[in-house]
Amino acid sequence: MLTSRRKFLKTAALSGASLVIGFNGVRLLHGAKTSAPFKPNAWIRIDADGIVTLTIGKSEMGQGVRTSLAMLLAEELEADWTHIKLVQASPWPGSDLGTGGSDSIRSSWKPLRQAGAAARQMLATAAAAQWKVDRSSCTASHGAIIHSPSGRSLNYGELVGDAAKLPVPQDPPLKDKRNFKIIGQRTSRIDGHDIVTGKARYGIDVKIPGMLHASLERPPWDGAKVKRMQEDAARAVRGVRSVIKLSRGIAVVADSTWSAIKGRTALAAEWNDPPKDTFDSETHARRLETASRETGFITRSEKAPAGTGDITKTIEATYHYPFYAHAPVETMNCVADVREDHCTLWVPTQAPERLQNRVGELLGIPADKVEVNITLIGGGFGRRLGFDYAVEAAEISRAAKAPVQLLWSRADDMKHGHFQAASVHYLSAGFDAQGQPVAWKHTKAGSFHNISPLDPKEAHDAAWYQDWSWGAYDVPYAFPEIQTAYVTVDLPVKHGPWRAVFAPSSVFAREAFFDEVAQARGADPLAFRLEMLKGADVIKVGSTVDRRRLRRVLEVVRDKSGWGAPIAKGHGRGVACNAYFGHTYIAYVVDVAVDPGNNVRVEQVVAAVDCGLVVNPIGVGVARMHDTPTIEVHIVPSDGPEPFGMGEPPVPPIVPAIVNAVFAATGKRVRSLPIRPEHFRG
Amino acid sequence: MEKTEVTINGAKNVVQVDDDTPLLWILRDTLGLTGTKFGCGVGVCGACMVLANGQAVRSCQIPCSAAAGRNFTTIEGLSPNGSHPCQRAWLEEEVAQCGFCQPGMIMTACALLRENPNPTDELIDKVMSDSVCRCGTYPRMRRAIRRAAEQMRSPKQC
Ligand code: FES
Ligand code: FES
Repeated sequence: MLTSRRKFLKTAALSGASLVIGFNGVRLLHGAKTSAPFKPNAWIRIDADGIVTLTIGKSEMGQGVRTSLAMLLAEELEADWTHIKLVQASPWPGSDLGTGGSDSIRSSWKPLRQAGAAARQMLATAAAAQWKVDRSSCTASHGAIIHSPSGRSLNYGELVGDAAKLPVPQDPPLKDKRNFKIIGQRTSRIDGHDIVTGKARYGIDVKIPGMLHASLERPPWDGAKVKRMQEDAARAVRGVRSVIKLSRGIAVVADSTWSAIKGRTALAAEWNDPPKDTFDSETHARRLETASRETGFITRSEKAPAGTGDITKTIEATYHYPFYAHAPVETMNCVADVREDHCTLWVPTQAPERLQNRVGELLGIPADKVEVNITLIGGGFGRRLGFDYAVEAAEISRAAKAPVQLLWSRADDMKHGHFQAASVHYLSAGFDAQGQPVAWKHTKAGSFHNISPLDPKEAHDAAWYQDWSWGAYDVPYAFPEIQTAYVTVDLPVKHGPWRAVFAPSSVFAREAFFDEVAQARGADPLAFRLEMLKGADVIKVGSTVDRRRLRRVLEVVRDKSGWGAPIAKGHGRGVACNAYFGHTYIAYVVDVAVDPGNNVRVEQVVAAVDCGLVVNPIGVGVARMHDTPTIEVHIVPSDGPEPFGMGEPPVPPIVPAIVNAVFAATGKRVRSLPIRPEHFRG
Repeated sequence: MEKTEVTINGAKNVVQVDDDTPLLWILRDTLGLTGTKFGCGVGVCGACMVLANGQAVRSCQIPCSAAAGRNFTTIEGLSPNGSHPCQRAWLEEEVAQCGFCQPGMIMTACALLRENPNPTDELIDKVMSDSVCRCGTYPRMRRAIRRAAEQMRSPKQC
């Protein structure tokens, strides 16, 4: 996910009276004149009816990426917004359509605009040739080329035939930011109407002819054996076609979803007793805590410069981060149609290529014989980077010799999720004789994903370990001495990426402990953050952190939240901030009320966000809690060069802002999550 | 497996399914009305909400035997072309993120406004808190419900 994805402009191709431009290479090539296969990562097609179709590979799961990408294109193409249509791409060998790490906007920003600009230029050239005028006297607007001196105009649809015959400009000039008409404006979701009328099709809504329905009883732990089950009873349920034993459980296949569910209940599978030393989260938490005292892999080490005061006082704290489930409202599902030598899948996924490879392996067919249709996604949060459910569906379809829809129950989702791994963070800070903090140490003990594992060839080097301690090693504060480290602890339960990947736990510990440092210093936590963001404006620690942007979002929340104003008894105000991956800067000030029973209610959240250029302000939101407070988001005008997504960055700093507010209200620290009365420490 | 008549969006349908088949699966599997979503099947998420004679009910909790003879409205039948004030307000307030929970949420809101054309924020929170939006669109939903309420109260809108 962190490898830079090369996305370049590439091929153009012709098809009938359409103009088609694709991009994934540094060049734009004329389709007819090149032997290179036409395999762009995304492409645009303008048809004779003026409809602009954008085919994109990014999965939509609520972040509004489809709308934002369409906006980028429409901007450069000067297209009529109402004529833009979106199609989801299917993967092919060598494509790279995965959605994760909030990089959709960042990775598509330039190529998409370039493709739009190239098309606009070709259309203008075609119009100029028809009118026998100079191209520079033609302008593009709202899906048409206009020649103002003569008052003539032609719609794009009327020009595509001629334009398609032209060479594709290699380096079309892009619009100046100042002339943007669409980018940066609030634009309605392109699929909003479908959503409110129930027409939006998610994975679970796929229906294909002859499709059967399956429910899968999975072993409760690896290696579990069935002790007893009522196969005959399951078969006796009306509509049940078959009960199939597979490598990953026992599938009940039926004519309808309900028959499959009933059949599985009737199966009443009992499993053998679990081995004695099975996993439990308390023991695991203790192991993590012990491990957090080890040296581990040092991810950042800065020695105090000469002249730094000696450490005369040290404070330390241990922060616990729990397991988290993804629990999207749409449970895991997949329709698989396995045939002799090929397979078609309809699946809500964030990882189509890896899924394709894995299903190809399972079926013993080349990956390009696995066709993946990406559906709308009813919540991803990282869960759909795993593809266990698609592999299961393929195995069931092969055995059932029919297209099958596999649907997970909510209980399946909770039992067989890919949790975010728990972690323990051991932090300490050293102060000199004047009480100034001079040293910061943060050791994270956690576990690498064991689902959808990364390529084993990937080096376990510093950069790799840094990824796993994101939010810890890139501590933005100017302590003269800094040491961050990562300790790996084995974890047998399935765990994988969760929204905002590895950052939430580290940012929680870092920002909460920073408050303890401010308290020890006797300083205001917000002012002290600003003070400790002094020194070099930009620091490079794996990712680049621009302290000016972080200071600015802190200043905005300070000014907008009434920071420092008196607050009622039982109420408290807390702050936290983060530079997400060096791209998106966020600060929160949170007001909480804590009742005598230590129940916390979040009353107000003031957020300041600087995510570079904002493509579609509607995509920016921080809502996360069931007891929803008032939420106020200030988008800070940015001189950041490129836009960055807003799917993940809001997550990490919200929790520490809340626990810091709890401290302000009660004088008690919450060093373990979730925030519950029993986790309050005096 | 008796034949049962259920009325959905004004149309009578005769279905032949087991008596215990939840209305949710009749809608989705038998009638192809997939706008009503499955989220839990046990009555806790609200993704399957439909209207029964104008009241919000969880279709996963209504067996076929109990559905017979009643009038149900699903998201598909709420209005021609998405013109119900709730749907419009939902679009205007840009409520949806992934959108999966939204049909259920809209149906819940419609029933609320039908009973209570001018609900307090407390009532909105209370009623909507029975359903789950994992994307956390609650603040926007709250705004959309207020907006829809206003539109429904102003006579020229309806
Ligand atoms: S599916 Fe009916 S309440 Fe969740
Ligand atoms: S919008 Fe995604 S669950 Fe509500």
